[in-house]
Amino acid sequence: MSPDFEKQIHELLHCRWHAVASWTWDAQDETCGICRMPFDGCCPDCKLPGDDCPLIWGACNHSFHLHCILKWVNSQTSQAHCPMCRREWQFKE
Amino acid sequence: MELLGECNLGILETLSEDAIEEITESYGGYFTTVESLIGGDSSVEQELVCHVSTLCKYGLASLVRDHFLSSLQQAFDKGGASTFWLHFDDFRHKQHTDYGEEIHQALCGALEEITIEKQFHDKCLSILFHALHSFQQQSSGESHNSDSERVELFSTFRSILSSTLMTTLPPHFPEILHCYFKEKLEELSAIMNEDDTQQQLDTDGMDLDDKLRSKNGEMDVDQGFSRHDELVKNIGKVVRDLRSIGFTSMAENAYASAIFLLLKAKVHDLAGDDYRTSVLGPIKEWIQTVPLQFLNALLSFLGDSVRYDTTPSGLTSPLACCPSPSFSKVVTPSQGIVRWKLRLEYFAYETLQDLRIAKLFEIIVDYPESSPAIEDLKQCLEYTGQHSKLVESFISSLKYRLLTAGASTNDILHQYVSTIKALRAIDPAGVFLEAVGEPIRDYLRGRKDTIKCVVTMLTDGSGGNANGSGNPGDSLLEELMRDEESQENVGFDDDFHTDDKQAWINASRWEPDPVEADPLKGSLSQRKVDILGMLVDIIGSKEQLVNEYRVMLAEKLLNKTDYDIDTEIRTVELLKIHFGEGSMQRCEIMLNDLIDSKRVNTNIKKASQTGTELGEGELSVDILTSTILSTNFWPPIQEEPLVLPGPVDKLLSDYASRYHEIKTPRKLLWKKNLGTVKLELEFEDRAMQFTVSPTHAAIIMQFQEKKSWNSVDLAAATGIPIDVLNRRVNLWISKGVLRETRGREPNGNVYTLVESMTDSGKNESEELLGGDEESERSIASVEDQLRKEMTIYEKFIMGMLTNFGSMALERIHNTLKMFCVADPSYDKSLQQLQSFLSGLVSEEKLEFRDGMYLLKK
Repeated sequence: MSPDFEKQIHELLHCRWHAVASWTWDAQDETCGICRMPFDGCCPDCKLPGDDCPLIWGACNHSFHLHCILKWVNSQTSQAHCPMCRREWQFKE
Repeated sequence: MELLGECNLGILETLSEDAIEEITESYGGYFTTVESLIGGDSSVEQELVCHVSTLCKYGLASLVRDHFLSSLQQAFDKGGASTFWLHFDDFRHKQHTDYGEEIHQALCGALEEITIEKQFHDKCLSILFHALHSFQQQSSGESHNSDSERVELFSTFRSILSSTLMTTLPPHFPEILHCYFKEKLEELSAIMNEDDTQQQLDTDGMDLDDKLRSKNGEMDVDQGFSRHDELVKNIGKVVRDLRSIGFTSMAENAYASAIFLLLKAKVHDLAGDDYRTSVLGPIKEWIQTVPLQFLNALLSFLGDSVRYDTTPSGLTSPLACCPSPSFSKVVTPSQGIVRWKLRLEYFAYETLQDLRIAKLFEIIVDYPESSPAIEDLKQCLEYTGQHSKLVESFISSLKYRLLTAGASTNDILHQYVSTIKALRAIDPAGVFLEAVGEPIRDYLRGRKDTIKCVVTMLTDGSGGNANGSGNPGDSLLEELMRDEESQENVGFDDDFHTDDKQAWINASRWEPDPVEADPLKGSLSQRKVDILGMLVDIIGSKEQLVNEYRVMLAEKLLNKTDYDIDTEIRTVELLKIHFGEGSMQRCEIMLNDLIDSKRVNTNIKKASQTGTELGEGELSVDILTSTILSTNFWPPIQEEPLVLPGPVDKLLSDYASRYHEIKTPRKLLWKKNLGTVKLELEFEDRAMQFTVSPTHAAIIMQFQEKKSWNSVDLAAATGIPIDVLNRRVNLWISKGVLRETRGREPNGNVYTLVESMTDSGKNESEELLGGDEESERSIASVEDQLRKEMTIYEKFIMGMLTNFGSMALERIHNTLKMFCVADPSYDKSLQQLQSFLSGLVSEEKLEFRDGMYLLKK
């Protein structure tokens, strides 16, 4: 290691890095099958994406906006089914 | 009696020889006596009476009268008139500025002389009248009222006299009169001024009561006043004499024009180029003290004299003032004075208004310092109602001075806003503003950077207020907000403020449009003077404005490293009030991202504190902060490929996995080329601090391992395309950190780290010029986005123009709307199309001529 290198290491310790990232839901789909809005956006009733409008996965591994699927589930009189695959809707553990 | 009145031809035949002889004799005698009487010999009076009665006996009274009058006229013509004019012969060739005192003497002398002559003639005439009158009394044997006849006779004489004078009037006489009055008035004004200052000095020592008394009570008889009195009396005498020889209207014209001239000079003098003080008050006061005082004195002086020689002549012009019934010095404003006052004030208003309108541009530039001048102008216009003059003159000065290529968009916008503010004061309904604003708006629409400037001005206090008006750091939006609060003027946007109560308030506030309103432009209800609305109007729609703001906000937020967004939050809140929650939704999410990022950042730091010791070459998470975006709500972000140096990359992926732990099932996607890096470079002989983009940081970090890189290898190591790399490296070269040596091989130049200042030096100068500022933006600008979206239409447009030759903007717009309905349908605004087309013009693909676009050949 040259003396220069050590100096440069020193330089790195002095640096402050402000990085930019974007978040995304780790889902298979791009859009919610109920509201057709992108997952990275939010459901039609919400203003803010992210924590305020989370996704939820069913046992069938289909994901929806939490608010959307709740609305769906509550509107069903009997047992609700997944809007995508018609299997019985169960929230994923 | 009847002989007098009518000419009975039959009587001629009944005349005897004797009678004819008698008539001839006394006729001859009458002629000679008249001649000698007018010649000045009053001893022939008796004889004249005798002849007159003889002639009258034969019914020749009218002949007698006519002859007498024509003899008088001849005498006057020969004597009085010509000598009168002779007095003024000297002035014929002189410049009228240097008459001086002699004019006064000449005028007075001439008038005196002619008055004496006239009095003499009056006397002659009254002798004749007596002769006629006594005959009548004798013949009819009854005495009757002779007044009307007398009056008639004298007025006939007077009109003969004045017409004689008029026909021989030398052309320069009115001017002489004018000058005379002008000089006298100036003298008077000077005296008044002295008085005023004197009084000021006096009153300064007095207490308030005295002050009031000396203001209200007519001036104390002090020396200045007696001089003034004297002067007015002199002038009055001249006016009276002029009147008596039938020059009433000429005299009036002369002193009226002199007064107006003086007033005009005074207004110009007072108004000047200082707009920070109101001058209307002083002007009115001056009118009150100088010309009105003078007129008052003059009229009351004339009052007695006119009464005394009763002029029922039709010569009094409508301007002539009826003398006030009371001649005392107590000021009971007579009708005449009131009329004069109105005339003078109107004239003053008009003069001031013209003066201010001519300078309106400067006044508005100085606004709000110049608001007193605006207030003056407002009052003037209320009085004169010549708003259209203002509009015309202001528009032409705008076109000449503001709407030129040389003026920056910012300046134009500032002037526009000042104009709105100033004209709002003059005309709250905004009728004239509409007319004035139109050319500015049209012009601004043709400028590319208008939207950007508007947004900057609205939201960014320091940037927008380059001219230094207003408090720094205070955006226009804040100012508007404050205005609104102070006016308690609710209802900015109809969409979300109309409740019933407001509607009622609006309805009860309704006022008819001013007459000058253009009926085509809609009624008052649609025309609120709302600065923001008028700014949005330039841009076309609030969506465009919000969009532009979003891009600016994104840029600003991405460059933040400290999560401090208080001002941005405030701005967005303000914008929300004006444009509605819905349109600002995305901006809010962006701000929210920043807030969330801050929280996440601290959480992650906390979590990693308990983590393992740093290994060799590893970096502490403390140096890393991040902004985490909800990409969908941000404007498109330009991504460039970049390979970060190992330690940093490790740091980022650690950070991302921590995030994933905290926020499952969300994960982070780094936008590696975005962000800010602060680093300190230490060399043998210096330490330097830089704040650069990650790309720059990645490049310079490569030099830790190797002191010199050729560009191909460096590009591979950093993952940056070689042409971009070459541009980026320029920053370091210009800072003197790297040195470029032209490589011999095709794989490009060699960059070497400069170890000490001493070997850099020479290299800097040239490379400094090639900065790479142009593509530094991380957010695609609105224009770039638009361009991208519009390029699909380029083919359509080209095809259209090939078919049709040339087309106007509107037509292209409509055609696109009609034909591009399929995916993607054409949804751009006219303004957007226009800016796209002007882009094509500047690329020389199209040509723009006389409002038509055509293909460039």
